[in-house]
Amino acid sequence: MNLQVALVGMPNVGKTALFNKLTGSFQRVANFPGVTVEKKTGWVIEDGKKILEIIDLPGIYSLDATTLDEKVTKDFLLKKEKEQTANLFVLVLDATNLDKSLYLALQLRQLGYPLLIALNLMDEAKKRGLKVDIEKLANLLNAEVIPTSAATGEGIKELTDSIKKRTHSLPIYNIELPNEMQKTFRSPEYVNRTFKQIDEILKEVTLSPLRPDTFSQKIDHFILHPIWGIIILFLVLIIMFQTLFSWSSPLSDLIEFVFSYSGELISKYISHPLLKSFLVDGVINGVGGVLVFLPQIVILFLFTQFLEDLGYLGRAAFIMDSFMRKMGLPGKAVIPLLSSHACAIPGIMSTRVIENYRERLITMLVIPLTTCSARLPVYAVLIGAIIPDSPVFGLGFLRLPGLVLFGLYGLGFFSAMMMSLILKKSLPHSSPSMLLMELPPYRVPKLKNLLLVMKNKGQIFLKKAGGIILIISIIIWMLVTFPQQNGQTSIEFSYAASIGRTFEPLFKPLGFDWRITTALIPSIGAREVVVSALSLVLSADEQNMSAALVEQFGLGTLVALLVWFVFAPQCISTFAVMKRETNGYLWPSVMVAYTMILAYTFAFVARSLVTLWF
Amino acid sequence: MEFDIPNSMMTINEAPLKQRLSITSFKDDYSSGISDIEARLMHLGFIHGATIEIKKKAPFFKEPLLVEVRGRLVALSRSEANLVSVEVCE
Repeated sequence: MNLQVALVGMPNVGKTALFNKLTGSFQRVANFPGVTVEKKTGWVIEDGKKILEIIDLPGIYSLDATTLDEKVTKDFLLKKEKEQTANLFVLVLDATNLDKSLYLALQLRQLGYPLLIALNLMDEAKKRGLKVDIEKLANLLNAEVIPTSAATGEGIKELTDSIKKRTHSLPIYNIELPNEMQKTFRSPEYVNRTFKQIDEILKEVTLSPLRPDTFSQKIDHFILHPIWGIIILFLVLIIMFQTLFSWSSPLSDLIEFVFSYSGELISKYISHPLLKSFLVDGVINGVGGVLVFLPQIVILFLFTQFLEDLGYLGRAAFIMDSFMRKMGLPGKAVIPLLSSHACAIPGIMSTRVIENYRERLITMLVIPLTTCSARLPVYAVLIGAIIPDSPVFGLGFLRLPGLVLFGLYGLGFFSAMMMSLILKKSLPHSSPSMLLMELPPYRVPKLKNLLLVMKNKGQIFLKKAGGIILIISIIIWMLVTFPQQNGQTSIEFSYAASIGRTFEPLFKPLGFDWRITTALIPSIGAREVVVSALSLVLSADEQNMSAALVEQFGLGTLVALLVWFVFAPQCISTFAVMKRETNGYLWPSVMVAYTMILAYTFAFVARSLVTLWF
Repeated sequence: MEFDIPNSMMTINEAPLKQRLSITSFKDDYSSGISDIEARLMHLGFIHGATIEIKKKAPFFKEPLLVEVRGRLVALSRSEANLVSVEVCE
C-alpha cells in the first residue's frame, strides 16, 4: 500500500530538517511535473519495507499563492480531478514564530483538511522561555498537535506513530477551492480577520511568552553593518571562490588521474587499435569528463546550503540586492554568478535559490559569458602566441600577458551584465519580480542536512546531465576518428574535418580556416580540448604551439580566436545542465544561438581592427 | 474601499528609522484589484493598523529596507516599501 503524506508549511519553519529526520537518507529529488521546482520524496522504512511515502512540499505563506513555488504547493493541496494527492497533510508550524505559522493553519482548517500538526523547533522555543498549552491549541485548531524538534529528535517517533495510525483508513482527499474563496484570500478584510483570530488564539494558548531573539539581533548588528557587513560578505565570497578552486582541483585531478590510469591499463591489454581508441578516448574519456564536474558541484552546494541553513544567504542577498538590480539581476544571483567563474555547471544548478523564474532564467542565460576555468588553458596558449611578455608602465611585476588575461575576465563579466540588462528588457514578464522576503533567525547548520543536499545534487547531475554528456562525447570521438585511412586515424581526413571544411566559408571573415573550424568541433565537449586538437591539425608539439600558431594564422586570426572563446557557447555539459534546469531544449538553444552571434560579431570586429592597425 | 490620505502620511521609504510606525493604508486604492506583491505584503502582516519598525537600510544605495512586522524581519525593496503608507506612533 502506497501511503502518501505531504509536509506543508511556511518557509523557514524547519520543514526540510523535519523531513530529513523522518526519512533518513531514503530520499529522491525530482522536479514537479512541468516546472523546475524541486520535489523531494522520502520513505519511512520499517523492517526493510517502505511503509510511508513522505513529500516535502515547497514552503508556502498562504493559499493565495504568489510565487511559482507556492503555486506548486497550492496545486498539490487542491488537486484537480483524477490526480492523486496525499492521504494526509502534516502541517509544520514554527514554535518560535507561532504568529506567522498560524496563518496557514487557519486557512487549511477552514478548507477542512484532515490535519496533523507538528509544532516544530520546540527545543529552540523552550530555550527562549516559551510555554504553550498544547491541548488548547489542538482544540482551537481542531487537529492533533505534536511538539517536535528535528534537532533533538523530540516528538519524531510520536509523529511517525500518529501518521501510521491515521493512514490506515484514510481516503484520498480532493478538496476544491471555490472561486469566490480565491478572491476572499486576497481581500484586506479577510487578512485582517485572520490576523485578529491569530491574536486571539495566541492569547489563549501562550502560558509563558517567547523572549526576543537577542542573539540574532546582535549578530545582525555586524552582518548588516554598512561597513562590516560589506567586508564580511566579500570575505565570505572570496572564501567560497577560493574553496571552489583549491579544494575541488585535487579531487578533480584525482578523478582525471584515475581515468587516465585506467585508460593506460586498457591500452596495455587491448591490442585492437579501434576498440582501444573507442574505450580509452570515447568511453573512459567521456565518463571522466562527466565525473570531473562532481567535486565542484558538491563543494558549491555544501557552501551555499551551509550559508542558507545558517540564515546568511538571505542576508547576503539583502546586502547585494540594490547593487545587483542595477545590473538587471536579483541579489541572490551573486553566488551563482561568482561561482560560475570556476565552472558554469554548479553555477547554473545553484540558480535555484532565485525564486522568480524569469530572473533565474536571465541569470542562467548570462552565466556562460563569465570566464570559467576551462577557458584558462585556451587563453594561456593564445595569449602566449600573440602578447609579448613585456612589463607595463615600466613596472617589473606588472606584465602585459597578465593584464590581458585580467581584461578578458573583465570583458566576460561586463558582457554578462550588459546581456542581463538586455534580457531584462526583452523577456516577457511572467510573475512580478519581488524582493519581499523574510530573513530567518540564525541557526547552526546540521551536517546531515548538508551531506544530503550534496548527495542529492550530485545524483541529479549524474542522472539528468551525465547521459547527454556521455553520448555527445562518444559522438565527438566518432567524428574525429572516422573514416579511417588504411586502418589509421587521422583528424585531417575525419568527418570532423569534412564538417570543418564545409563551414570554412562561413568563418572566412574571422580568418578561421578548416583547421580551426575542425579543432573547434571537439571543443564542444570541453573547451580546453581545442588546444590539443589544434596541435593535432598543425602537427605541432604543445610546447611549440605558440610559434606554430603565429606562423600559420597571423595576429588578426588569433585575436579573433581569442575573442571567439570569450563569447562562444559553453561546453555540452553546460547545455545539458541548462536543459535540466529549464525543463526543455528551448533555453539552452537560445543560449547557444545568442553566444554564437556575439562570438562571431566580436571576433569579426576584433580581426578587422587588428588588420586595420597592424 | 477608499482611504483618505492626509498630508502627514508617508510611505515606509520616507519614514524614520528605529521608530514605531503604524500602517495607515496601502498606497494604491483597491479598486483595480490587489497585485501579487500587495497580497504577499498582507500575508506577511502588513495590514491596516499593524505596528512596524524600520530596523536597517542595506549598505548599498540605502535599499532594500529591513522592517520588523509581527515579530519577523522582512526585506523590502524601495518599490515594495512605496506601497505601504505609515504614520509615526505617538
